[in-house]
Amino acid sequence: MFIVPLDSLVPDYVKTFEAYIPSKPDPELMKLYGCDRLYRLNNNENPLGPPPGAQEIMRRFPPPRAGLYPSGDSYYMRCRLAELYGMDPDQFLFGNGANEVIAFVIKAFCQEGDNIITADKTFAVYEWVATFSGFTAKLIPLKDFGFDDQAMLDAIDERTKILFVCNPNNPTGTYWNEAKLRSFLDTVAGRQIVVIDEAYCEFVEKDDYPDGMKLISEYPNLVVFRTFSKMYGLAGLRIGYLMGSMGVVDVIRRTCVVYSVNTVAQDTALAAIDDIDHIYRTREIVNTEKRYLREELDGLGLETQIGEGCFIMVRLPMSDTLAYRKFMSEGVMIRSMTGFRFPNWIRVSIGRHGAMEAFVEALKKVLSV
Amino acid sequence: MYKMKQSLFSTSSLCYMIFSDSEVPMKGYSTEASLTISSDMQFLPLAMSFTEASAKAFGLEKTDALKLTLACEETFTYICKTSKETRSLVMKATNGLYYVGVQFLFNASDFDPRAFNLTAQVSPDDEQGLDEMGLIIASRSVERLQIFHGSEGVSLVLVKEKSYPPMSKITIPESKTLRDFTVVAPDPGTLKLFAGQIVHYYPDHLYPRDFRFPGKLMDMVASGEYGAAVAVGKEELTGGGVVWFQSSGKMVEVFGPYLFNQPPQSSMAARLINAVIEGLAKTGILFLIVMYATPELPSGYFEPLGAIDIFKKDSPPAAITVYCRQLKEDPGSTVWVHPELEEFLKKEYRRLYFARRMKPTESAGEARPEHSVFAARFVKAQNTVILNTIWDGVDFSDNLDRHIRTLGNEGIPNIFFEIDLAYAWQANLIPLLLRREFIPRLVLPYAGEGDIVLFQHGKGL
Ligand SMILES: Cc1ncc(COP(=O)(O)O)c(C=O)c1O
Repeated sequence: MFIVPLDSLVPDYVKTFEAYIPSKPDPELMKLYGCDRLYRLNNNENPLGPPPGAQEIMRRFPPPRAGLYPSGDSYYMRCRLAELYGMDPDQFLFGNGANEVIAFVIKAFCQEGDNIITADKTFAVYEWVATFSGFTAKLIPLKDFGFDDQAMLDAIDERTKILFVCNPNNPTGTYWNEAKLRSFLDTVAGRQIVVIDEAYCEFVEKDDYPDGMKLISEYPNLVVFRTFSKMYGLAGLRIGYLMGSMGVVDVIRRTCVVYSVNTVAQDTALAAIDDIDHIYRTREIVNTEKRYLREELDGLGLETQIGEGCFIMVRLPMSDTLAYRKFMSEGVMIRSMTGFRFPNWIRVSIGRHGAMEAFVEALKKVLSV
Repeated sequence: MYKMKQSLFSTSSLCYMIFSDSEVPMKGYSTEASLTISSDMQFLPLAMSFTEASAKAFGLEKTDALKLTLACEETFTYICKTSKETRSLVMKATNGLYYVGVQFLFNASDFDPRAFNLTAQVSPDDEQGLDEMGLIIASRSVERLQIFHGSEGVSLVLVKEKSYPPMSKITIPESKTLRDFTVVAPDPGTLKLFAGQIVHYYPDHLYPRDFRFPGKLMDMVASGEYGAAVAVGKEELTGGGVVWFQSSGKMVEVFGPYLFNQPPQSSMAARLINAVIEGLAKTGILFLIVMYATPELPSGYFEPLGAIDIFKKDSPPAAITVYCRQLKEDPGSTVWVHPELEEFLKKEYRRLYFARRMKPTESAGEARPEHSVFAARFVKAQNTVILNTIWDGVDFSDNLDRHIRTLGNEGIPNIFFEIDLAYAWQANLIPLLLRREFIPRLVLPYAGEGDIVLFQHGKGL
């Protein structure tokens, strides 16, 4: 047997990086925690699942097509989006979830010694990809639960390549309005790439919420992320995309892995994108259940942070990792937020009313023992 | 290496907030020297002069350097005597800033690993007799002695801490109630005063002895092994602070929080603890542990795991509540459980809401190796030895007796034994520990390969 010289093979920035361990599948967790049900309220999935038309496409998928490669660059999807938004199909790049396109952008622009800027308490993947690729992630503390535009601008140096803004922010639900985003982009003045992650944009109904896509013609350094995992309920199929100006996307295309989006995902997303009704129905549930939760949580005297998106944050008078274990034993899975650098907070994804009631009921038990 | 020395805060927000424009762990001092020799007495003078020269170069005072050299002489001689043939061995001296460590590293298959029980004799009819065992002698002139048996081989580490002058008579500035404050990493001057404030405001059982030496605390933090955060107000006044230590790749020990003249409703303690947690949230650290909990430990952050008794030289014995906080979502796991510990574990897992699948195990007369081997962490200042088993053996109980007797003779009253429930053969040793007056005190989730049950020797207080 050979001994692998890991010490010399592995770069330091990988050695010191800690792998993310996803939770075990539901049946395993239910066995471990001894519960006969499990409400998964930890991943911000759509309680309605995929739109009906998209479900039909999945049902009708001809199995022999699984033997063939998919379109390597999601051709029909790109054409449809170009038509919808009045852009060129080549301004879109698809990935195996928006997670994958994060890596495309970082690989395209960063080299040794470079840095990216984002917030300390936001979706973790920007920071992770930068760190395990050997680049510095400058993490700017949130201000009043929102991205701090001025502090991000102040942190820019000659090696800064990308600024990531999560709009609305996961997990706080705060967002930059159009004026703030424009002023930020004006100050950056095209010198760095600005990524606006709009994973939850379809949930936002506020008038002053900016549509990043519309700003690309004015700001060619702007890159926008979207996903089918949240509003379109296709998290299990893994499909997301980015768009930007032709020149910028042309560069990112070089570091993009083709064929990473499977055929079912492409066909299904194509059917999902036109179902406006699905968006209204989802918003209705999310708004109603958020109202319900707000009342219940206020009633319990708990501090909350409820903004845009299909999730809310609650501050508990106890360790969130202990709360996680207690919730699990009640068959409710929430996200403990120590990992987001929010000690003693939890994030709860909005589900159907039955799930929300189960959460509230479990919460009362968690707090009482 | 025997010590993880990566900076804890390489990518955290705390790093950006606190470390970006203040003191970063000190760089630019030489950190390591190594020597490859054979286990041959001819090399004894070389091993000794290597130790002495490195110790001095790394800043030990003459007497301390000599003590370390003496311990290394004893250890090297012992290794030579116990190896049947001459084998290669590496000596590595490390500058830990507040200590100098010397590590002996050698391939286990070349030596009889049994010899590296803390209490082993060179040979049963050795003329020095039972009381004079090389490693025990070596342990007397250093602060810490650790024996590891890993995939790289056997590793023996001797640690000699530097001597520091005690706190001078400078007056500690009176602390005021701070309404507005920020949590930052202290600059060296502030850290020195912070040490003084802790000693001034707190009884000495609420902080480690090391804090009585401000220079030592400064070096401990500068080495990167320890961290500190303080709450400062507008006029740079320190209202409180917290210290932490990465004691393994998975665990960080927190000291404090220490608050000076702050009102009971102050958010300072919680904010200090938040800063520590946020800084470690995305590292590999799985949990925080608190053994020196002050009354200011904020509620709702830590869970009481259990209590251990600590017998000290200069103060009466005390029961210490050990608090813990997990930093990750618990994925649940499977543990091996001996029937004699089942009740204890069931109660603890239920109390702490740990999802564990328990698999029963006990010895069924299967063949076992002849000799057991223990690893040991020997901390002199705390009169404490923590043992665990590397290899099982039929002589387990005898080996245990030998350790208890020898450590008793050495005046070490705090003897702990760790059982890792990831291994059925370790769980099988539980009845033997119980018969030797070891009592299960607490379960440390994931502290080893799996959960560790910490046993303490003696009936307790
Ligand atoms: C802000 C944000 N961006 C991107 C993603 C990744 O989405 P995908 O499922 O498309 O990889 C998520 C998923 O949780 C998210 O919250």
